[in-house]
Parts: sequence; structure tokens; C-alpha cells
Amino acid sequence: MFLLPILLALRTTEADAALILRLQRREPQALAELYDRYGRVAYALILRVVRDTGIAEDLVQETFLRVWNRAQGFDVQKGAVGPWLLAVARNRAIDYIRSAGGRERNTVEFEETDHPALYTDMEPGILASDKVRVVKAAIEKLSRQQRQVIELAYFEGLSQTEMAARMGQPLGTVKTWVRAALKALRDELGAQAVSA
Amino acid sequence: MNCSALRDHYELYALGLAEEPERDEIRVHLDRGCEVCMSEMRRARELLTLVGGSSDAQAPPSSKLRRRILASVGAEQRGWGWTPLLAGSTLMFLAAAVYFGGRESDFSREVVRLTAQSRAQIIDLTRLNEAFQLMNGADTTVTSFGQDKPKPRGKLFYSPSMGALLIASNLPPAPSGKAYELWYIPKAKGASPVRGGMFQSQNDGTAMRILRGPIDANTTAAIAVTLEIDSGVDAPTSTPVIVAPLAAAPQ
Repeated sequence: MFLLPILLALRTTEADAALILRLQRREPQALAELYDRYGRVAYALILRVVRDTGIAEDLVQETFLRVWNRAQGFDVQKGAVGPWLLAVARNRAIDYIRSAGGRERNTVEFEETDHPALYTDMEPGILASDKVRVVKAAIEKLSRQQRQVIELAYFEGLSQTEMAARMGQPLGTVKTWVRAALKALRDELGAQAVSA
Repeated sequence: MNCSALRDHYELYALGLAEEPERDEIRVHLDRGCEVCMSEMRRARELLTLVGGSSDAQAPPSSKLRRRILASVGAEQRGWGWTPLLAGSTLMFLAAAVYFGGRESDFSREVVRLTAQSRAQIIDLTRLNEAFQLMNGADTTVTSFGQDKPKPRGKLFYSPSMGALLIASNLPPAPSGKAYELWYIPKAKGASPVRGGMFQSQNDGTAMRILRGPIDANTTAAIAVTLEIDSGVDAPTSTPVIVAPLAAAPQ
């Protein structure tokens, strides 16, 4: 029974690798399969950011097109396509709300976060793993302020200064909440890994 | 600075929130292939992937989205509307930015900004194009709502063959964690409203929302809007802020 997660992970890795190879060969059916595998999670993430189903669908389309156009730069053997696709989805959505709100973006850090080379040697099938549930439960356990700063940072792409202004709190307080929240999530995930 | 001193900064770096001197230190460690930092960054990105993967959408995207995506890579035929023109405009913007810009760092910043702006404009203009088509449809009728109230008010353009276009004003931006949800209100007594998607109003209180696809006025009485949690709900939980009846075109 304990071999099941390992077998599933191996299967996901092989399936993702084969899928990326087919994307690199420009097979549209591979894009369809990629959408079937990750379309719903990308949509949920984008919808959480933009809170508009019509715009969310447009941005999901952009996300998959970007992956289609940049698949050549992806490492078939080591790459984790799900995490990469989710990073692209997040960046597209935050780009949109920043443009719509007339806000400048943190260009350098942001562009770096969805480069395919960054998503290598990660746990295969991570988005289908039990860790998603663990992190979701960990987020629920955070204090209201800690949860809010994680949401503002991850789902709205705000800097700590922007968060402080939005929340009407001193910058130092916001920084403390951000660090405590990230540490709590890291510890919960670490504890799960130890007990697994 | 050694790797253990950077322990609390990897997630901040992955989120784009790291500050100096830790940000530069992590960059230096990664550039020289520091295995500890590379491993810690992978772990940090995994954590953020899981945060993103924990989002819930009450309803899946529409079934048309898969077709649209495949059509856009040439797997199926699809009308492109404004896209070639807008893509051309984007390229012109980028070329202008490259030609007229100053230093190299300014170039890249400007290109990124213009690309993001153009991308947002492409989405907005494509939606406007759809809205104009619906407003000018041969079978389109118009009803007003909210005329006797201070807010919100607006018009519903309804085409049985194409769908509906809701244009509202005086609709205040939804509070944090909330969004507006559209509903198809059935004519049959006791039948439950059907979800029509989430949307946000602009800062000036205006909103435009397109409901794509045929709507049968024989079975649907009105389009309504309620304020709900931003992940959406299966049935309305608040009093509608907008109720716009469907008006069938005269025979």
C-alpha cells in the first residue's frame, strides 16, 4: 500500500514528460491533454485573483498559449509542468489586475518566477498529492492577519509596503506577519513530510 | 552570509518579497550553484505551488474554453475578430519602445509594462467587440433596470441567439473577499436560479458583463445579480442588487 504514492508519482512524471515532448513537437492534442490535467486548477487560481469568470477564462487561454509557445525551453527529464503552468497562470492574472488598476509591477522578480528552468527537480505530481490538502488546512489555521498577508502577496502580488498601506498597518508589523505565516506553512508541510 | 542565515528568506525570494541584503545573497548563492540554496528554493517554490493549488472554484470553466484554447493553436477553426489587428498594435508598441527607449534596463521595463498593458487591452477590446455585436444583433431587445432607485441602474441587452449583455452603473466595488454573481432566474415556480458567473465592478462603479450563448426567454424570466463570497455559491444567499427582466423581441 505504501508503494502506491511512489507508483503514482512515477506515473505522473512519465506522463508529464511524454506530454511535454509532444508539446515540443507542436501536437495540439498534447495541449488538450495538458488542459484536461491542469485546466481546472489554473482556472481556480486565476479566478481567485481576478474574481471575474469571463476574464479568468481569457487568462486561462493566455496561460496555455504561453506554455505552448515556451515549451521548447522546458527540460523534459527534470521539469515539473504543473508548478510551471501554475506560476504562469498566477503571473498572467496578477499582470491583469495590476494593469487594470494602473499599478506598476515588480518586473524583475516577477518575470523570473515563471521561467521554465526554475521548475526542475520538483516533486512529481505535487498538485495531485495530499500536500495540497495539508497546505490548505495550514492556511486555514493561520491567524486572520497572517492569512490576509499571504493572500495579498500570493494572489494579488502586493509588495510588503503595498500590503502595509492596504491594511493600514506599520510595515514592520506586516513583515512580521508575512514571515510568521510562511514559517507556519513551511513547518506544517515539513511535519507532514516527516510523518508520511 | 551562510545558507542557514538565509533560511527564512527563500519563500520571500520566491514571492518577490525578499529585501537587501538577503535578496542579493540568495542570487549570489544560486549563481554559483550552491546546492543548499537550490534545494531550498525548490522547496520554497513547491510550497507556493501548493498555495496556488489550494484555490477552490465552485464551478469549472465553461466547456467552450477547451475548444477556444485548441482553436487558438490551430487545432480547430475559429474566427479571430480583432486579434490580428491588436497583435499588430502590440508589436508596434514593442518596436516603438525598443526604438525610442533609453538604457537597456529601461527598455526591458518598458517592454514588460507595454506587453502587460497590451495584453489587458486585447482582452478588454475583444470583450467590447463581443458587446457591440450583441447590442447590434437583429433580435436584440433592451430593458432598463433600477431607474426608480439610487443604485445600481443600467440596461440589459438580450439576444435569444447570442446571449445577454449587462451594463450597470452605481454598482460599488465588492468588498474584499466578495464578488458579484450573476443568476439566470427561471420562469417555473420553485425552480432554482442557475449560476451565470462572477464579476467585479470598476472603481467608478460601472460594470459590463457578457453572458455568452443562447438564452430561452420561454424558460428564463430575468437576469439577477447578488453579492456573494468571491469563490461563488451554488444558490443566492443575499437579496439581488439587480433584477433585469428578459424582453423577447417583437414577432
